Amino acid sequence: MTFLQSWMLWGLFAASIPIIIHLLNRRRHKTVMWAAMQFLLKATRESRGKKKLRHILILTCRALGIAALATAAARPLLSGMLGWGGGKPDLVVLILDRSASMEATPKNGTVPRRDLALQRVKNALNDFQGTRLVLIDSASGQPQEVPSPDVLDRISSAAPTDTAADIATLAGRAAEFLTESPGRAELWIASDLQKSNWKPENDRWTSVRAALSSLPQPPKLRILSLGGEPSPNQSIRLLSSHRAGPQLVLDIEISRSDDSAAPVNLPLTATLNGGARSTTNVNVAGQNFRFRKVIPVPPNEESGYGWLSIPGDGNLRDNAAFFAYGPARPIKSLLIAPPGEAGDYISIAAAPAGHASQSIERIDPAALSRLETDGIASIFWAAPLPTGQVAETLNRFLIDGGVVVFFAPQGESTASFLGLSWSAITTAEKDKYFILDSWDHDDGLLRDGLDGTPLPAERFKAVKRRLPEGEATALARWDDGKTFVTRRVVERGTAWFVGSQPDYTWSNLGDADILLPGAQRAVADGAQRFDAGYLADIGSKAAAPRAGEGRARLDDYGAPVPSNEAYEAGIQRFGERVMALNRPAVEDDPEILSNDALKGLLQGTGYSLFEDQSLSVSSSGPSDIWRGFLVAMLFFLISEALLCLPKKSAADAVPLPGRPSKV
Amino acid sequence: MKYEFLDSSLLARLGAIPVEMRSAMIGNVAGRHRSPHRGSSVEFAEYRKYVAGDDTRRLDWKAFARSDRFYIKEFEADTNLRAYFVVDASGSMKFHGPQGEAKIAYANRIAASLAYLLVNQGDAAGLSVCTDKLHLEVPPSRRPAHLQHIFDTLGKLEPSGDTGLVPALHTIAEKISQRAFVVILSDLFTDTQAFSDALQHLRYRKHDICVFHLMDPQELGFEFDRPHRFVDMEDGTSLVVEPNLIADEYHSALREFLTTVRAKCHDAAADYQLVPTNTPLEPLLRDFLTARLPKKGHS
Repeated sequence: MTFLQSWMLWGLFAASIPIIIHLLNRRRHKTVMWAAMQFLLKATRESRGKKKLRHILILTCRALGIAALATAAARPLLSGMLGWGGGKPDLVVLILDRSASMEATPKNGTVPRRDLALQRVKNALNDFQGTRLVLIDSASGQPQEVPSPDVLDRISSAAPTDTAADIATLAGRAAEFLTESPGRAELWIASDLQKSNWKPENDRWTSVRAALSSLPQPPKLRILSLGGEPSPNQSIRLLSSHRAGPQLVLDIEISRSDDSAAPVNLPLTATLNGGARSTTNVNVAGQNFRFRKVIPVPPNEESGYGWLSIPGDGNLRDNAAFFAYGPARPIKSLLIAPPGEAGDYISIAAAPAGHASQSIERIDPAALSRLETDGIASIFWAAPLPTGQVAETLNRFLIDGGVVVFFAPQGESTASFLGLSWSAITTAEKDKYFILDSWDHDDGLLRDGLDGTPLPAERFKAVKRRLPEGEATALARWDDGKTFVTRRVVERGTAWFVGSQPDYTWSNLGDADILLPGAQRAVADGAQRFDAGYLADIGSKAAAPRAGEGRARLDDYGAPVPSNEAYEAGIQRFGERVMALNRPAVEDDPEILSNDALKGLLQGTGYSLFEDQSLSVSSSGPSDIWRGFLVAMLFFLISEALLCLPKKSAADAVPLPGRPSKV
Repeated sequence: MKYEFLDSSLLARLGAIPVEMRSAMIGNVAGRHRSPHRGSSVEFAEYRKYVAGDDTRRLDWKAFARSDRFYIKEFEADTNLRAYFVVDASGSMKFHGPQGEAKIAYANRIAASLAYLLVNQGDAAGLSVCTDKLHLEVPPSRRPAHLQHIFDTLGKLEPSGDTGLVPALHTIAEKISQRAFVVILSDLFTDTQAFSDALQHLRYRKHDICVFHLMDPQELGFEFDRPHRFVDMEDGTSLVVEPNLIADEYHSALREFLTTVRAKCHDAAADYQLVPTNTPLEPLLRDFLTARLPKKGHS
């Protein structure tokens, strides 16, 4: 509740007048000598309880009647969002979450959360005649003056986007803006409280709190959380795409958020180069379903673009995944291994026969003085760790996004790379083997397939092993808990350390159960960077045109808004380049910020949270409720009058001598 | 007349109405009141059989002539009476509201007027003034000069302290051996059961009892417009109350008290009069005296 004439609330002090009069009356009593004390004492004893309560009720009615009159005069507005307290602000800074998740409709609703938020804000501001409104939308992040709340839902800065939001940064920007804007201000944040947008771990929140608190007149902070539970929804996301000769290989994830556990059959439509369409049915079981989609590339088109789409549902912004591709290029790998069985197996696994696009060059470490990594997707290293210039080259290769897989070498060496080194060779006891006990099924070289099929890593046995020593992430462990596979991320690249080698004097790694998929994954990950130039997340640097490049939308999916194209997913041409821009993966994360976490983030700001569960744009607008207070005042005064009416008692039936009878 | 509680014109008007008793009195001299004993008045009482030793002069010879039996013709005896005015002089009797005079003043007027009328018709009047600390008695006498003593005593009364009415009534009941007219003038702010016992004691002694229950109109009405501190006139304790809040309970308690007192008086065959102190004295006394006159057809 807020008040248009808040100064009239001083009138609430008048509510104490009846009580003060009562107390003064009690103090200013007259003294009288009295003879019939026995009746007085008896009457006093008997009048406690009901009489006292009646008297208190009369006083309460009088006080509340005056309070209701003062409140009515202050012209109260009822709005859940505006909450209690405060008068008309001079300035409202609205942070609008325009992220893709805000386009989700609440359960059983038809209006997206963003539209609901805009309508709530509009309704709330309609009675604040003369209040300045400044919008900071999550897509542009720039403060923008809004001439009137009525146009709020029509300006492009409030239109839907496929971006993610960084509420901490926006709040910081709002605090900066408020520093330069004197007057009584309020900061409103309209958001779905998606945790990935609020980033509670972000250190920036500390400075935001400090900035808001240090303002000469700290603004009132209101959080508008929309819609409650979301509607059932399926979202599609492109995990990766790469050109494999005449085919385009797309790794797809479809996520479901609904109450049903039954599989859903979804029509998946692939549109290539804006024309050819093909629809296949995908049976989605579980909440997250990953699969690979192979699309043949038309023989006469070296490059192109397209998108995969599913039918519209609870959120219209997450039903398409865009991709683009360029000419096919061979995938080259390097193998640094001495002559022998291990090198042979690795060579076959990295470039199996029949995969014409894949090739591997084998180099004997004894002849290695200089490493040429241009155009190399991945490097397999089954030799002592590199040192010197080779190590530097390898490091640069990793920084550029390459993948290197180090296998435990034969010879003794104390060299280290990236702070990691190999332990001495250990041999299993006679008639016993080192076997794998646990490995990461969701991540790493030994992860399960897209369809969830696990690698048969339990078949792996070793008689000899070397342990990678140093700081790295362990993704597979031996049965004695020692590390088998570790990963070290170096900027965009990844270095893998595998504690055995495909040699039958060491292990059965050469059986290909895990070597082949592991090697192919390393090659694919390494080659990814060659296709990465065609994909970008909306809002990232890569999604912006370079200097001198223009921007043009190529696809016609959905209803593109030209003025909003910088924030919409789709196929865009930047000069000569074609980029597929998709919404960031964080927008598919359904986790919502808890109230406790929000409390922690905004501690000391005195924020108020309004969780709007309504589904209609017309509800929750502020309503002028002064009439209600006038009715309440009348009610209290009538109640007071009724309570003051003399009670018709039996005592009145028989008049006392010397006392007039009551008729 | 120098006593303010005496109104000579009122007394003159009331002088025509005799003060009658409801029961026979035993006096020491002849008077206008019936005596339980047979006497020599002109009013025939009854015949009774002659027994040896009776005065032969009182034989009814005409009856002997008719019936050949000896009958003694008896006549009513007329005697005077002793009236005791018991005036409660406790602190509460000092009370007076805006409409009425002090209860003690009103009591004085009643006592003085009735005493005057009684002495004037040849009866003896005495006075008993009681508080918890004082029991002052003026013995009854029928001499007109005795009235002066009574009036002086009434004029000097200064009410104070708690009531001593009940012990005073018991003392009177014990002390007066012959039937008398006991007039009680009090606000009766005492234990009703103890007062009832005292009345029963007086009744046992065959006294003709009359109670003037004096109440101030403000005590009956209890109408105040603001909170008051009420200070007890007898023991000085005080209480701050808002009269409007407790008026109903007050009236209820008062009504219960009046009903009880009236019932107790009725049980003791006492003549009860509730007298608000704003009541004009003349109609009160006229009605009182008239009501005590013998009804026609009754002896």
